[in-house]
Amino acid sequence: MIEMWELLLRSRKVMSSLVVLTVLILLGTVGPLLTGDPYFMNLSIMGQPPSLAHFLGTTSFGEDVFAQLCNAIGNSLVVGLIAGGLGTLIAILVGAVGPYRGGLADKIANLVTNLALVLPLIPLFIIIASVVRGLNLVLIGVILAATSWPWAARSIRSQVLTLKEREFVNLARMSGQGSIQIVVTEVLPNMLAYIMMVFVILTGTSILAESALSMIGVSTTRTITLGYMLYWAQHETTVPFWWNIWWWFIPPGVVLTALLTAIFVIHAGMDEVFNPRLREI
Amino acid sequence: MKRVTESPVNGSNSQSRTEPKHLLSYFLSKSKNFLANSYVRFLVNKIGFYVVVVFFSLALVFIVIESMPGDPVAVMIASGNPPPGADIEVLKAAMRQYFGLDKPILDRFVMYLGNFLTGNMGQSYHFYPVPVSTIILYYLPYTLSLAIPVLLVSFFVGNWVGARAAYMKGRLNEAIYFGLVFCNQLPPFWLGLVLIFLYVLVFHGIPPIGAATQGTIPSLSISYFFDLLAHWVLPFLTLLVVYVGAWATGMRSMVTHEKDSGYVRYGEQLGFKKSKLMAYTQRNAILPQFTGLNMVFNGIVGQTLIIEIVFGWPGLGLLLYNAVFNYDYPLIFGCFLVIIVIIVVGNFLIDVLYGFLDPRMRTGHG
Repeated sequence: MIEMWELLLRSRKVMSSLVVLTVLILLGTVGPLLTGDPYFMNLSIMGQPPSLAHFLGTTSFGEDVFAQLCNAIGNSLVVGLIAGGLGTLIAILVGAVGPYRGGLADKIANLVTNLALVLPLIPLFIIIASVVRGLNLVLIGVILAATSWPWAARSIRSQVLTLKEREFVNLARMSGQGSIQIVVTEVLPNMLAYIMMVFVILTGTSILAESALSMIGVSTTRTITLGYMLYWAQHETTVPFWWNIWWWFIPPGVVLTALLTAIFVIHAGMDEVFNPRLREI
Repeated sequence: MKRVTESPVNGSNSQSRTEPKHLLSYFLSKSKNFLANSYVRFLVNKIGFYVVVVFFSLALVFIVIESMPGDPVAVMIASGNPPPGADIEVLKAAMRQYFGLDKPILDRFVMYLGNFLTGNMGQSYHFYPVPVSTIILYYLPYTLSLAIPVLLVSFFVGNWVGARAAYMKGRLNEAIYFGLVFCNQLPPFWLGLVLIFLYVLVFHGIPPIGAATQGTIPSLSISYFFDLLAHWVLPFLTLLVVYVGAWATGMRSMVTHEKDSGYVRYGEQLGFKKSKLMAYTQRNAILPQFTGLNMVFNGIVGQTLIIEIVFGWPGLGLLLYNAVFNYDYPLIFGCFLVIIVIIVVGNFLIDVLYGFLDPRMRTGHG
């Protein structure tokens, strides 16, 4: 197991994405401490292009774009981690316990998973997000988790089904362990890498989904996230035509793309290392 | 020996038994044979499942809409123009009764479902006398004209690019892989903004936002068609870039995996032409891509809805978005019904297609 992690770190692609990810996390955590209040509107410097005083210029309300960006990265990551963590938990619960209880429980879990896979999430989310008042980051994360788990549950389920037939699991069953105990002590540890992969990719998709929703203005209206910056840059500009202030809407998207690409490459690297069929290192 | 003599007797026996009987039993046995075909049974199961999906999602949306804070009647009165001196409370009560909002939730849900079965979606609150179905029929072609071309074009182009990318060597391979992943991970809504920005930079004009240039009257003329096309290109390109990336990364890894397998090596030893081997490899590699078609289709429909809002393209996404903000319950419900029907029908067609492509599905072996 440990040498596999070493293999992972030796891959150049994974290392470079880890560097990108670390830089972004640092920007998101340390950045807000160093920059000023992201909501502070200095109306005497409205819509200024990038300069030494303001790295990425100012918005059309005189806010510092760089300060906003740092806060947005942090908040988007928080949403992603909450949604990714919770979503992974739900996926494990539905995907792993189902095959073990067997019978009706498995059938119901399978049906719910398939059902949730077909549900059109984005229209559903537009409706839900407009219903829930006082949305904050945690609530958004929970809603995203509640809607993003199905494919993860399905793939975890298929993994568990193959693991279930291994000798050590049969041995544990013969020695009289309960089914939940087997799942917790025998199956899940063997799936740790796989669960990590699910977590990584769920985090990425949740960040993207949250940005999409706040971009069209149905997510948080008070807390800065990457999509929220895009929403304000496009809709609430006081300068004629939002595309004139390109330094406002370009950075959030670049950061978002970098973040998602890094997450995807890390996921692909893990897939290569832990999935013996694809290993080529 | 005995068996041979017995079997024709049995056969004629059963025939004589079914022949004179009613037509009904004949059809029953026929349909039993029909259902015994595993492909048909698979499709029937799928239809049942999709009916459950439609019912369940409608119920879910109905509950969500009902728990919406805010009062549609109040919004209607605020956006309308009540006559001066009218008693607002009486007006509200009358409107509530008129739209059936005073009935219990379950009654209204049953009423909606019953209406849907007869093809009646009620009247919109916001555009009051106009039936919901009329509004949706106006907006629906716009959504389909984005989603379907994106699905088809990105599938063919993406798989073609991905298959070629797998045969690249060295640095070029890495660069192309990175490019494809990058395209796939671009957030479409932001890519849309960037494309508009680039358009402004290059053409120095008003970017094509909305369905047509403001002020033009919709007509069946060529010039209007080209106007529509000009407005359609940017959202289409936005979605296309992202989904070509998605298909190509998947296809590339499948072909990379497949081109090392035994039969390709064997074919190489036998001296097959490279193009022939590539064709075989791609045939085998594309089947898992069809498995992913369902999920990508759902994704494309969802992303189309968001892109419509970004570009002001008057499709179902924009309609739903506006309906949510207007508390237009029948319109929200109707929009969602149409979206879920699009998704369910699309998924079902993909299931049928999958059965045609994979012979194991049809025969039930394997």
